[in-house]
Amino acid sequence: MVGVASIALVTAGCAGSGGTDPGSDAGTDEQRTLTVWLMDGSAPETLTTALHEEFEKANENVTVKYEIQEWNGIQDKLTTALASQEPPDIIELGNTQAPAFAAEGVLTDLTGDIDALNGGQWLDSLKASGEWDGKQFSTPFYAANREVLYRTDMFEQAGITATPTSRQEWLDAIAKLEAKFGSSKTFQPLYLPGQNWYALLSFIYDEGGDIAEKDGTTFTATMTSPEAKAGLEFYKQLVEASGTTAPKDNDEQNPEQAGIFGQGEVAMMIGLPWEVDTATKDKPELKEKISAFPIPSKNAGETAPVFQGGSNLAIPVNSANADLAKDYLKLMLSDKYQGMLAEGGMVPGASTDLSALEKNAVSKAMADASKNGRSVPATPTWATIEAGQNPLKDMLTAYLTGSKSLDQATKDASTALDAAFSAS
Amino acid sequence: MTTTALPVVPAGTPPAPPRAGRGRAGLGERTIPYLLLAPAVVTMLVLLGWPAVQVIAISFRRLDLGELVRGEVVWVGLDNYRAVLADPEVWTVTLRTVVFTASVVAATVIGGLLLALLMRHIAAGVRVAVQICLVLAWATPILATTTVFQWIFDQQYGILNKTLVKLGFDSFAGYSWFSSGASTLTVVGLLIVWQAMPFVCFTIYAGLLTAPKELYEAASMDGASGWQTFSTVSWPVIRPLVTLATFLSLIWDFKVMAQVWAIRQGGPDGESTTLPVLLYLKGIAGRHFGVASAIAVLMILVLLVLSIRYLQLLLRSKEGDLS
Repeated sequence: MVGVASIALVTAGCAGSGGTDPGSDAGTDEQRTLTVWLMDGSAPETLTTALHEEFEKANENVTVKYEIQEWNGIQDKLTTALASQEPPDIIELGNTQAPAFAAEGVLTDLTGDIDALNGGQWLDSLKASGEWDGKQFSTPFYAANREVLYRTDMFEQAGITATPTSRQEWLDAIAKLEAKFGSSKTFQPLYLPGQNWYALLSFIYDEGGDIAEKDGTTFTATMTSPEAKAGLEFYKQLVEASGTTAPKDNDEQNPEQAGIFGQGEVAMMIGLPWEVDTATKDKPELKEKISAFPIPSKNAGETAPVFQGGSNLAIPVNSANADLAKDYLKLMLSDKYQGMLAEGGMVPGASTDLSALEKNAVSKAMADASKNGRSVPATPTWATIEAGQNPLKDMLTAYLTGSKSLDQATKDASTALDAAFSAS
Repeated sequence: MTTTALPVVPAGTPPAPPRAGRGRAGLGERTIPYLLLAPAVVTMLVLLGWPAVQVIAISFRRLDLGELVRGEVVWVGLDNYRAVLADPEVWTVTLRTVVFTASVVAATVIGGLLLALLMRHIAAGVRVAVQICLVLAWATPILATTTVFQWIFDQQYGILNKTLVKLGFDSFAGYSWFSSGASTLTVVGLLIVWQAMPFVCFTIYAGLLTAPKELYEAASMDGASGWQTFSTVSWPVIRPLVTLATFLSLIWDFKVMAQVWAIRQGGPDGESTTLPVLLYLKGIAGRHFGVASAIAVLMILVLLVLSIRYLQLLLRSKEGDLS
């Protein structure tokens, strides 16, 4: 067996070397290839097609090799790709993963290019994700944030005329929905699983708190602050008021909340705009009955700050085409292509023009809240926290199920976060 | 009395030489077996030996993403080991992993043994049904079974809580089976036993079938009790197989990762974290490959200590006969 295999390898090797035309080497000096890795579902195809056409026209000897990557397993794939002799020239990084790459010095320093890359219009939260030790290693690409998705027909029947613009109005709406539909045992005014830590962050930011304090490149957890505790208390109040039957020991993906929303017995959920499509996959007629409003603030008339998820763009330090890659970034971050990104339903990372998102109520609610977007601590250790044991999730479950007091749960979370922050 | 005529094989006689070697003298005949073995040995050395040497070497280096990308080799001596051993969490997790492995292995082997003995005594039709069930449990992909178990134990929609409530245990409405490490590991343990038992059961059952029927007949004629029959007739036959199954289970269960991770990623509060999960979190997710290798080397050492008895038996006995 082994013998056969090695013979096959040798033959294949011969065929390979024989097939290489020596003439093609001569062309490499002039003909260059720019390898671009973007993630599945990020840039719409209309955008990439137009952009690559324009880029290739402007740089006649350059071919763009565009490869779409899957999110699943991307960390390991990037690690191997960055270590190789010919890494991709442009990579997309999840904004919470970006600091881990920046801190290791494997990305090209872009500090000097900020202005040329439309820096004046960058989203603050994504700019912060791309920074490490006072330097800029990745640029914003696009962002998205959570909002409250709701059923317009149910709101109407329950006599709710305007969408809630404060926490109190939100709780009132829950009470009205419960009064109207509560006779059905399977009805839930708001579906809220115990571990939706993105929603929790919103409440904590709204109270004026945060996950951690930054001092240079070190972070200290602040979950024991009165603001963080108040945010956690509101989460519990919301869960109890809504009478949700969602599991307290799991997150919004397990079970997938959009699927439960789509069954038609839920009036609201805290989710991302595209969860509407997932929810209405089997019942397209439901789509026109779903709208959205920003997560209400405790201060009437304001919207709560939101956790901003999204992506950054970076150039690997080993890239042989860093000059071309910067030109590519310049184009991608220009108003034209950022506008196309907004048309695709994303909050553009390098443009303050959100008009394209305002055409539709679901994306308008996201755009409204996005002006007040924040991100998780820009520390390389955050990627590890998200990879598995997120202390915020454990804290939520422990507090909501009553297995720990508020003080104990927040104290344990702070200790666990500090341990994680100091791990590298 | 044994009526079966066994072919007489004198001890120590080498197997018949391969046809090609027949008639050739001395050296060639002796080297041919080694030549035939060589490809397999080389493959094993390249595919198993070299990575193992690499892991040990990397455990003495600082190898984070940066070093990997820049191709730097930074030797740090015993720093990785010092860091790992100084971390109290590592000791907690090691102890937890050893206790967890021991419980799971004991449950698997005892369960498999009892099932195998049961299969000897039940009617052929029922036995086939049991065997089909076992094969199905065994053949289902690990993550598929894990998903099923997650749903069985789900807080709101799980069939277990619903059934318990129907039976009158109202306190189980909305009970969370994953709220503590011990409870989570119990569910994970059940899951692993469920998946591992068929193999152990079939192995032991195959051994039981080789026990001569006449011995059982003789035992029952002499009025031996069930326990006496088991200890004097069945046990001597299956003992080497039980030993083998125990140590194979030990190795498999000690390094089990997929199920523990899939159920709760080692949570809540890291209380169901086992050594492989710790290795993944510290080393791979945190991109400290040197630390990951150090934990891997320590895992091998723990496994060596746990399976030392088996290795002793294996080395002492001739041709791997474990009886």
